[in-house]
Amino acid sequence: MLNCLRSSLAIASLTALLTIFAPCQSAPRLHGELAWAIHYDPKTFDPAKVDEQASELVRYLTGGVLLRINRQTQEPEPQLAESFQVSPQGTLLVFRLRPGLRFSDGSALTSADVAWSLRRVLAPATGAVVADEFLLPTLVTVETPDKLTVRIHLPKRIIGVGKIFDEIAIEPANRPSEGRITSGPFVVTDYKRGQYLRLNRNPYYWRRDAAGAQLPYATSLRLDVLNNREQEISLFLRGEYDLIDGLSPDYFDVLARRSPQSVRDLGASLNTEQIWFNQASVAPLPDFEKAWFQNRRFRVAVSEALHRADLARIAYDGHATPAFSFISSANKIWYNSKLKYPQESTAEANRFLASSGFHRNGNQLYDSAGHPVKFSIVTNSGNAARLKMASMIQQDLAAIGMQVTIVPLDFPALIERLMHKQDYEACLLGISNAEPDPSSMMNMWLSSSPNHQWNPSEKIPATEWEAEIDKQMQLQASSPSQQARKLAVDRVQQIVADQLPFIYLVYPNVLQAISPQLRGVQPAILAPGPVWNIDYLRRQGGAR
Amino acid sequence: MKKRLPAAILLLLVLGAALVLRVTPYDYAFQDRDAIMAPATALHSSGTDELGRDRTVRVAAALLIGLAGATAAAAITTAIAACFGLLAAFSPPSIAAMLMFLSDVFLSLPWFFLLMMARSLLPLTASPLVTAVVTFLVLAALGWPACARAIYRGATVLRSSEWMIQGYACGLKNRQLIRLHLVPHLRPLLMPQFLICVPAFIVAEANLGALGLGVGEPMPSWGAMLLELDNSALLARSSWVYLPIALLVVVLLILESFTAEVETNA
Repeated sequence: MLNCLRSSLAIASLTALLTIFAPCQSAPRLHGELAWAIHYDPKTFDPAKVDEQASELVRYLTGGVLLRINRQTQEPEPQLAESFQVSPQGTLLVFRLRPGLRFSDGSALTSADVAWSLRRVLAPATGAVVADEFLLPTLVTVETPDKLTVRIHLPKRIIGVGKIFDEIAIEPANRPSEGRITSGPFVVTDYKRGQYLRLNRNPYYWRRDAAGAQLPYATSLRLDVLNNREQEISLFLRGEYDLIDGLSPDYFDVLARRSPQSVRDLGASLNTEQIWFNQASVAPLPDFEKAWFQNRRFRVAVSEALHRADLARIAYDGHATPAFSFISSANKIWYNSKLKYPQESTAEANRFLASSGFHRNGNQLYDSAGHPVKFSIVTNSGNAARLKMASMIQQDLAAIGMQVTIVPLDFPALIERLMHKQDYEACLLGISNAEPDPSSMMNMWLSSSPNHQWNPSEKIPATEWEAEIDKQMQLQASSPSQQARKLAVDRVQQIVADQLPFIYLVYPNVLQAISPQLRGVQPAILAPGPVWNIDYLRRQGGAR
Repeated sequence: MKKRLPAAILLLLVLGAALVLRVTPYDYAFQDRDAIMAPATALHSSGTDELGRDRTVRVAAALLIGLAGATAAAAITTAIAACFGLLAAFSPPSIAAMLMFLSDVFLSLPWFFLLMMARSLLPLTASPLVTAVVTFLVLAALGWPACARAIYRGATVLRSSEWMIQGYACGLKNRQLIRLHLVPHLRPLLMPQFLICVPAFIVAEANLGALGLGVGEPMPSWGAMLLELDNSALLARSSWVYLPIALLVVVLLILESFTAEVETNA
């Protein structure tokens, strides 16, 4: 055992040393090349099968799309399609392609390629995540009356349908190439698993700048697979990398001191950090605990006891914004500014608890049956800001007599407890919202959804307010009137603020580091962050 | 004489830590949210950590918890090893071979991972104190096989020694033999085993803590505090971040010097 422990220590130390001092495995930077790090290997280069962040980025950089969402205006803009029309009923979409389009191998891109790519995405056998956004994908039909026209028939209206086409890359018909033949700005040319991915410029890319110069400006991109923040920052400071997206708050300040012109805090992101209590009736918890967690006043007391400004200031070094809704304050269109922010008062929290029969004996809170209020909060290990928040919540709740244990778990173990066993009391976790439109959050709010975290897969809504959320979310997803949609989403935000199934804590800010040599960057909080306008990015002195 | 200086330093450290916990107005879990990563001041003699907790108080508590837990675990593991080794030594050869085989099998299992599993099987609501106790108990339960083999070897030599044979010949009962001959002669063998275990368990707990599996927050432990060294941003903000690792090295050196001394004397 002793030898075993010593060996483990030695191996751990050696690994740490190797990690710190190992030379970067990246390839040398080519002339006019942009380089940055991704934290893990893309699972797939097949644009139809993308389901995680690294693969999404590769699809964004290589895939030509009919429409692209402008990450600043959040509106769809024509790309391969020069025009896009929706019928008054919303069930017919007509795309007109630009003439003379070509794939990266020089072959012509026609409506047949578009139809083939769309049908492949819609086919259940492909398993494309984006297919679900068509609501009834098997009933969607695609026609090609001529080489430049594509007509899509939908079984029912889809709100914001244009945004779906931002995620569908057009590939050559019957020749899926996993990014080797593309209609987007770049082409996959070299990939070494665990080391780097190189994308070269597509010589036949359709787009040109205002002066008529071929886009993209960068000759190639190199994405190093590197899951070591320290090394990433060191390489950025040495000029090896042009940008860091998703900088952690600790390192933001380190970089701000050493290279103040490089760092950018774009303000609140669309993402949320929240805690919630397990309210599932099938959860393997004692009945008295379920009764606490299903008690609105208990949840309100917890919310009142938390100091969100402290969480933002301390856990995120000030690079976060206190939160009280599932819609971020950065989401100007959908945020309900009429929500009443909690008082964050211990006295108020105690008042709510007392009114539900809870009482204090010394520093410990007891329920009306005499059970001491003790519970655990599970969270994922490895997220420093989240663990700091957990410790602070522990102290805030101790002030109202609740004894909280923090349990960091590795992610698979956490997901197993949340999604399968439902064996947890409370959870602290974040939700990443890639899109500002609340329709993308349907799976979290519909009571029948397995992602309805506090009480998943309800056969019928367990409470009246959950039934009301279901109704309002369905309304906003189907109403053609923007005003009606906004009213429905405001109503859901108000219900969530009153009932607190999720107790929102902060919106982490979008933190980026951009090399002063990088030109053409337009800040945006939506993914893929600083490279959303990749066509126009170039290094000062690089090829143009 | 050689042993006195390290013993005095260790005693001073323990008394100092106890004094710090006694006189400081702050609890080790208290978060002073207006003094995050504060420098050393009259209020916080070695500054505060990322949550505004007094670093001196936390290091003092970690020192006492680590030393007390590791000492208790080492005592338990040495006792288990002594029982197992003696049982094997005084059993017939076939049973002795089987017991030692069992001990070797136990030794060859991937205990570090099993230990992580055992630690993660604890109920979620286990309090920090319970996690600390369980962590050291698990270490004690898993640390004995290497000691048991050493004790078996020593006890086998003792069993066939002339004075043991003379004791048997004089009609001494087993109890008398153990009390008068065996235990006094085993002490030089047990003491180094015990002293080796103490620093090993301190390091093992620190290792588990660094993996998030040791003593639960907010109770301080060396492992949890060593995690701060993983963050260069923190290292740049305060030199006091190095205090736990510096103290750990000092304590380990002192304990190793005890072991070397006892082994030399033996």
